[in-house]
Amino acid sequence: MIELLFLLFGIFIMFFGALGLLRFPDVYTRLHATAKCDTGGAISILLALALASDFPITGKLKFLVIAFMIAMINPMVSHAIARAAYKSGIKPKAVVDMYAWDNP
Amino acid sequence: MAQENFLVILPYAIAFLLFTATLVSYRVIFGPTLADRAVALNTATTKAVVIIAMLSLLYDAPYLLDVSIVLLMVNAVGGLIIAKYMEVRA
Amino acid sequence: MHFYLRQRLEEVRKRVLYESYEAQKLPAWERIVITWMALFAFWIVISGKFSPSHMITGALVTLIVAVVTRDFLTDDIRQTGHLISKAAYIFLFLIPQYLFIMAFRLLESNLKVVKNVLFMDINPGIVKVKSNLHSNTGLTVLANSITLTPGTLTLDVTKKLGEAYLYVHWIDVETLDGEKAGMKIKGEIEEWLKKIFW
Repeated sequence: MIELLFLLFGIFIMFFGALGLLRFPDVYTRLHATAKCDTGGAISILLALALASDFPITGKLKFLVIAFMIAMINPMVSHAIARAAYKSGIKPKAVVDMYAWDNP
Repeated sequence: MAQENFLVILPYAIAFLLFTATLVSYRVIFGPTLADRAVALNTATTKAVVIIAMLSLLYDAPYLLDVSIVLLMVNAVGGLIIAKYMEVRA
Repeated sequence: MHFYLRQRLEEVRKRVLYESYEAQKLPAWERIVITWMALFAFWIVISGKFSPSHMITGALVTLIVAVVTRDFLTDDIRQTGHLISKAAYIFLFLIPQYLFIMAFRLLESNLKVVKNVLFMDINPGIVKVKSNLHSNTGLTVLANSITLTPGTLTLDVTKKLGEAYLYVHWIDVETLDGEKAGMKIKGEIEEWLKKIFW
């Protein structure tokens, strides 16, 4: 029962992450949507699969390894893409921009 | 096998995630800048990793988990290389 | 003249930092053993077989990889003496606490993104936050944690004169003051990370 709840929650969150990717105005806010929602949804779905499967214990550990690697890799790649987007000249639609004050 | 109602609901979950990946591919094709395309591609690849992990449960085939681990590593290296390329080209 | 003095001071300070850093480093065999244990645990989890041929092959291959890459993983570990008891304390007590905190922060941030997508009440901005951590690993973990907490995304990290600054893209800017923004963004995570990293 609890794994079904985790699965439905993960699918719900991933759908809203994709919707945020379509609706937000610029790259940085889109990165907000994808980094958080993909990480949370993928970890939730993988926990559900690890609870529901009847693989041996090493098979269940592999699900947790994938979840841990997603939690490490996804923020790192989003950080790299945000920095590269700023360096390549995409201006953010922002009320305050302290990064431009320090790197003219 | 795993629990029955979980296995019944799993194909619908895969279909819904594929629909979500189709929504994301709009941003891959019509994205205004390269950064948008990179972000959307990263999102679609994460969804593909989750779909492959679901398929390993559905087909009762644990070796598919290795495929998803390798796809995740390729996703990380590819994202970093695209970011490096954008930073160097600027 | 003034500029020259400042440059000179920075150079001296960097050299002192580097020398004290080098003096505290672990000996080579301990670095190799720590890296080898981590890689071998990863091998066992990934391969999932316990026959002797698999174990011997994995031990040899991970030992070769550990000899080559011994500086990457253990770069920020300081010589504190009781390494084993400290590692046991970290892995048994501190890391479950961290995972518990981060799980609830991640849930909160997901629900906040859902709210932002539905109502589009965003007010984005980039603010600058001072960090109390100095090591590379600690800054990386802090930046990843900030990205996963609600409403914030790390953009860049700079280190000048031994002080580290984070540039954070905030989706709903509430204050521009550095101290208050740091309290709101980092919260209890940095005080928790000060227990492990330096």
